[in-house]
Amino acid sequence: MRGPMGEGGVGRPTAPDAAAPGMTERAGSLDGMTSPATAGATTANAAARSGSRRWSFRFRRPSGSVLLGMAVTLLLLWLVLYPNLFVLADSLRLDGRFTLANYVRFLRSSAELRALWSSLWISAGSVVLSALIGVPLAFLFSRYEFPGRRVLGALAGLPVLLPPLVGVIAFLFLYGESGFFTRGVQLLLGLDSPPWRLNGPGAILLVHAYTMYVYFYMFTSAGLARLDDTHAEAAAALGASRWTTLRRVTLPMLAPALGGASLLVFMTSMGSFSAPYIFGGGFRVLSTQIFASKLNNDLAMAAVETVILAASSIVFLIFLQRYEAGRAYTGTAKGLRANRGRVGAEPDEGGDVARGSAPGRWTARLVGLVAAAFVAFLLLPHATVLLVSFVPQGTWTIELLPPVYSLENYRTILSRPDRLVPIVNSLRMAAIATTANVILAFAAAYLMVRRPFPGRGLLGALVILPWALPGTVLAIALATTFSAHEPWTGRFVLVGTAAILPLAYFIRNIPLVTRAALTSFRQFDPALEEAAASLGASWTTTVRRVALPLVLPGLAAGALLAFVTALGEFVASILLYTHRTRPISIEILSQLRAFDFGAAAAYSVFLIVLMAIVFVIGFRAVGEEGMQ
Amino acid sequence: MKKTFGLLAAAAVLSACGGEGGQVIVVYSPHGREMLEAFERRFEELHPGVDVQWVDMGSQEVLDRIRSERANPQADVWWGAPAHMFEDAAAEGLLEKFVPSWADALPPHARNAEGYWHGTYVTPEVIAYNSDAVPPEDVPRDWDDVLDPRWAGQVLIRDPLASGTMRTIFGMIMYRSLRETGDTAAGYDWLRRLDAQTKEYVLNPTLLYQKLARREGLITLWAMPDIEMIKAQAGLPLEYVVPTSGTPLPVEGIAVVAGTRRPELAREFVEFVGGTEGILLAARDHFRVPARTDIPLDSLPERLRAAMESIVPEPLDWALLQEHTPVWMRYWDENIRGRGGRR
Repeated sequence: MRGPMGEGGVGRPTAPDAAAPGMTERAGSLDGMTSPATAGATTANAAARSGSRRWSFRFRRPSGSVLLGMAVTLLLLWLVLYPNLFVLADSLRLDGRFTLANYVRFLRSSAELRALWSSLWISAGSVVLSALIGVPLAFLFSRYEFPGRRVLGALAGLPVLLPPLVGVIAFLFLYGESGFFTRGVQLLLGLDSPPWRLNGPGAILLVHAYTMYVYFYMFTSAGLARLDDTHAEAAAALGASRWTTLRRVTLPMLAPALGGASLLVFMTSMGSFSAPYIFGGGFRVLSTQIFASKLNNDLAMAAVETVILAASSIVFLIFLQRYEAGRAYTGTAKGLRANRGRVGAEPDEGGDVARGSAPGRWTARLVGLVAAAFVAFLLLPHATVLLVSFVPQGTWTIELLPPVYSLENYRTILSRPDRLVPIVNSLRMAAIATTANVILAFAAAYLMVRRPFPGRGLLGALVILPWALPGTVLAIALATTFSAHEPWTGRFVLVGTAAILPLAYFIRNIPLVTRAALTSFRQFDPALEEAAASLGASWTTTVRRVALPLVLPGLAAGALLAFVTALGEFVASILLYTHRTRPISIEILSQLRAFDFGAAAAYSVFLIVLMAIVFVIGFRAVGEEGMQ
Repeated sequence: MKKTFGLLAAAAVLSACGGEGGQVIVVYSPHGREMLEAFERRFEELHPGVDVQWVDMGSQEVLDRIRSERANPQADVWWGAPAHMFEDAAAEGLLEKFVPSWADALPPHARNAEGYWHGTYVTPEVIAYNSDAVPPEDVPRDWDDVLDPRWAGQVLIRDPLASGTMRTIFGMIMYRSLRETGDTAAGYDWLRRLDAQTKEYVLNPTLLYQKLARREGLITLWAMPDIEMIKAQAGLPLEYVVPTSGTPLPVEGIAVVAGTRRPELAREFVEFVGGTEGILLAARDHFRVPARTDIPLDSLPERLRAAMESIVPEPLDWALLQEHTPVWMRYWDENIRGRGGRR
């Protein structure tokens, strides 16, 4: 569970000044991913080693790589950029003419501008709050040894498996005005009215932080696992305090991980619909404005709001890359295995605390207790889903805890074979999409890290673009583009076929898997490939026998995350599914629409267990491979 | 590791299967799974070899989909949405003309003049309440009773912008104001007082039922069939009264989607839903009040008949409402909502 972005090798950071500034800057601008600094250092290192002859002898460069680069770029232009141009065109059209009038209307409306501002600060706030939960949590589990560390650490990553719709319902049952946590506090304090109402911007931020901290947690854990402790030790040896070491050494080396998580949280918050819609209480953000505009049949305004939303995310992305490009820290890896005792960030105390020797034992227990309490708090929504799944429909109304428990909801699901069809559908579609993701991610990452070809910057931007586009937008864009048969303009009829949902899942997960692949590629030293090449291995042999095995663990971790995301996907599915391809999330929605919370919860428990099994099998497989 | 990818690949191969013979008809509808499954069963019994595939989603989502699939329509029939959505869709050329045999039994406002869509059910709007928490003698009997100070902070209202039901009720209030005073001021004033009573604007029906059942609020304004449905399915302690001074009866419709590839079957389905058997099926098991005026009351179930007999239809100018409601709603949203009755 921990370290989804790859546990492969341990990075051996290079001192920042070893990287030629020019190289760093170029690498930063060339690739769109979140750790350009790594690329910069890698390139610089390679340059330092091989000098000016670098490009001439590193590989026998096959013309194939240029062709491959063009093919991948074209594919992404077609699937990622092209559909969104239709949305852009809609925003620029009024009465059949192209005009900026719709944008003028947006800028003149104070309600629209307020919504934009709210979206921005809510998203920024979500990033900060999620980081405040996720980063310390990752440090706690990576840096301290205490009883139950592994189990708790794995559990803290569980929110990634909470299907989006169900999460919202869990919050209502938990913290809503009549939720059991709220009623418990009310009862405990003897209050006449509920102590709070889950409403307004505060509630949105709470829900966001609660569900999105997991990105910071996972990215930071992975980053910490890759860190080499020698630098922290060196800093300590040079007399730096722990705080200084953390601030000047550890955190900067985590910059790519933190950047990636910030980006993911920011964009997810910008596109988040359920939380502001259900808990906002009339608080306007862009995603709810799009919905309202459509209700008022103002499609041009909906298109403008969509474009503005996507543009905000893209601006944030650019800003983040600028920031990261200035930090060239992390470096090349020599293909070292992860050292299990990665506790050394407390160099002054060494392994004492970690190994639980006499002085640290009580501290360790205390830390364990605090961690357990915190994780239990974070997992309350899951516990709620489990609880609700045992409650027969309509029985739990004014009581603090459910008055009746039964297995009825599970029996209903299992006794109706047609209700299991969505599970099979989702598994199948997620598998197809993820397979495609892995192939594309490997090719794209290989090209971006190892093959300087013209248009690499464009490729970098394209692989991250899907993150900046809300799921609804993507779905509408796909439905519009692929509902006509005009092969000469690259449009084919995919709407209503079994292909459209896997395609949507594939596109949404491109950034996730590609990012994992890129991180892995940057971790291992190109010298390994050079060695293979110099020993006479062909290009394909080098890729197959050297590159692929080395990036596989990281790639697989990314693929697993993509797979579970696709399993629970909702926002794009609702606009693209057909009767035959209905996925799990739609089944849950159907049950919620029929006010059957119990069945929806039971179904979600199924889904969570299924995802957990996939994760366990997947990581066991990755682990075995890693042992070789 | 290879095993993982092997599994993925194997699962991918499985995708090749699926798909059976016979004719398929695709229905987009917000009517909910219970009702759709019942109609699927009956229609397939009547037409052996036909496979009814329904896609269950909100009416706004149906409109979105039909719009985005315009160039290659996937749906054959669109069943269920307020009349104004069908009017919008017809104006955009998304519907196909088809006049079913039962069309003449509809009142003029329950059908499109050019035959693009036809009414199936009318939805009486009612005052609903938690019957465990509100004693029978205190139940508000009419719209104005909801403004009684005793209900201050006890009223839950479904977000009016996103709800056809609430738009209709607000429209009725405004229309009454126009009819009685020739001006909108009295109507806005009424809505302002309702806002002062309102505890919360609830964002979707499921949450509305949940909050009513859990006594976060005790009273709401809502559609009768939905209250009946939720009572029957979930056994929640909800009841309703039909307002004594009159209630609007908005029309829900059905239409053939433009460009359907199975026009014969689509028409057959429309015939069935609005035909006497379909209407009775919906009335008996799903509490839908027929839009047709030729269904004898005594063929309807007891409960529905009792409710229908207490209905005083509010005379409304639907064309005028269609035109003005967006303006009224925008004014309400910007100047009344959430101000607690203050100007």
